[in-house]
Amino acid sequence: MDPEIKIKALPIDEQRCRFTVDRPLLPGRAAYFGDAARAAGSPLAEALFALPDVASVTVAGDVVTVTRGGYGEWPDLARKVGMAIRAQLQSGAPPIAEAALEGMPGEDEIGARVQQLLEREINPAVGSHGGWVELLGVQGNDVFLQLGGGCQGCGMADVTLKQGIETLLRQEIPELGQVFDQTDHAAGRNPYYTASKK
Amino acid sequence: MSRILLLLPTRTWRAEAFLAAARRLGLEITVATDKPLVWTGRVPEGVIVLDFACAERAAEQAAEFAREHPIAAVVGADDDTVVLAGAIAKALGLPHDPIAALEAARDKRVQRERLLAAGLPVPRFTRFRLDEDPAAVAARVGLPCVIKPLRLAASRGVMRADDVTSLGAAMRRLGALLASPDVDASGECRHEALAETFLPGAEVALEGLLEDGALRVLALFDKPDPLDGPYFEETIYVTPSRVAPETQARIAKIVTRAAAALGLTRGPIHAELRVNVWGPWILELAARPIGGLCSRALRFEGGVTLEELVLRGALGLNTAGTTREADASGVMMVPIPGAGVVERVEGVADAGRVPGIEQVVITAHAGERLVPFPEGSRYPGFIFARGEDPAAVEAALRAAHGRLRFVLAPEADAATSGAR
Repeated sequence: MDPEIKIKALPIDEQRCRFTVDRPLLPGRAAYFGDAARAAGSPLAEALFALPDVASVTVAGDVVTVTRGGYGEWPDLARKVGMAIRAQLQSGAPPIAEAALEGMPGEDEIGARVQQLLEREINPAVGSHGGWVELLGVQGNDVFLQLGGGCQGCGMADVTLKQGIETLLRQEIPELGQVFDQTDHAAGRNPYYTASKK
Repeated sequence: MSRILLLLPTRTWRAEAFLAAARRLGLEITVATDKPLVWTGRVPEGVIVLDFACAERAAEQAAEFAREHPIAAVVGADDDTVVLAGAIAKALGLPHDPIAALEAARDKRVQRERLLAAGLPVPRFTRFRLDEDPAAVAARVGLPCVIKPLRLAASRGVMRADDVTSLGAAMRRLGALLASPDVDASGECRHEALAETFLPGAEVALEGLLEDGALRVLALFDKPDPLDGPYFEETIYVTPSRVAPETQARIAKIVTRAAAALGLTRGPIHAELRVNVWGPWILELAARPIGGLCSRALRFEGGVTLEELVLRGALGLNTAGTTREADASGVMMVPIPGAGVVERVEGVADAGRVPGIEQVVITAHAGERLVPFPEGSRYPGFIFARGEDPAAVEAALRAAHGRLRFVLAPEADAATSGAR
């Protein structure tokens, strides 16, 4: 094993964990594997699906996101995922088959699809509360958004983002990674709902 | 995956913390609000609107929703929703505390009567009509005394009076507040209030979880700023407490007995007590976690948050053994700097650079009207600190606050003034 390969594991929740590797696995591109059958021919994805309880794998740039089917503590599975990633990098073989990348959206395509959803569905909806949502950028399959108008500083902005916008984006773009809110909510001048209860 | 119905009034601070906790636990969340959000109806399993003003109707609406989306637990995020959450849980056949117990915890007068009947140390109190003769009220509780509305939270409307004249003025002021359109007071809550003997002493707040009636103390906060009136705006909370260990044990015992006296057996509680030469006195016990953004001051082993513990407890999952991190921590609810309209807040980055400060969150937005206590209750921001000991945390919070400067414009004209 190459001791120089550094991997940082950050559990997102009890079902998802994000592994950031100190070198690129899939530069500028993203691949999503919803089941073991789709992983066939892609060595890293195959190795990860061989681990117990792995339900889906996303590889984007230097980040691998693993979703497990059940619940449990991450340390044991995370250690095995780390070993699989290191073994793959040491082999020198491409981690993801070129064929698997066909049809997988790159940053540009994810950005375009998010933009389309913003224009077609999301902004008309939040516009009814005087708000808007802007796409700041895409990194790998992570999306960075900024909220404005009535959404900026709104006490319900997080509900709007997580329960509405993110749900909709994930329905339409299953390959999506994380959705980050980059809004300076303190600068909002006209929030639709203002928190005031203790 | 378990689905939790989370009741969030549209004016709550608590949305972000609870949604993040649910995500970390891998739970499905349906947010129920009192007013429609933009996604109500568009993402049916994500956001629903319930009639918060009518528990019976809300329970029917929730039951209808649960037929298609089974619910494992109902959680009320703050004062306004805990009774409603109990009523909905009852209708869905889910574990819950008795509605009468939740209502008693919500009503300051009923709560006091139950605590007194249980032999717990509470200040002498009386319920009075706001149009009553102040001298008659003073005769029942003595002077100085404190008057407080039956239901408002965050010390809103709470005032100290040292003589009959100032008591009369405070009663008129409270009456005007309860009649104002932004206060949802009706019936007895609008025309009556509670008066109690003013107790000198330091104040503490206990954060805990009840499991089958047993109290697990999650944190005991000191409130180092004296709360002697005339108004009772809270500022600093620091934990661990510097109160003597034997007194801390007595505090936990009193809170356990208070919860039992009210009939509470499960879920989060937040209790406030005064400690003086006669020992701890319980002022209030709420069946909810700490309010505002203050829960960010609490972190448990493995980075677990208070909201994660609340959600796990609601699902009946084991939360035992989760202890608070070793560091001292604290939060300052930034005092309202004065009446006026916020133009800008200066020194935020500078405040954040004070050693020990983790976060400075300004929640007041430009153009927002600030209303000082006792009529107001919305803190313009929160400062969070961590350190080796409580004294260092308290010092960091004060130093950071000293670097903030709120620039306010009087509401009547555009002239500006600096206020700290």
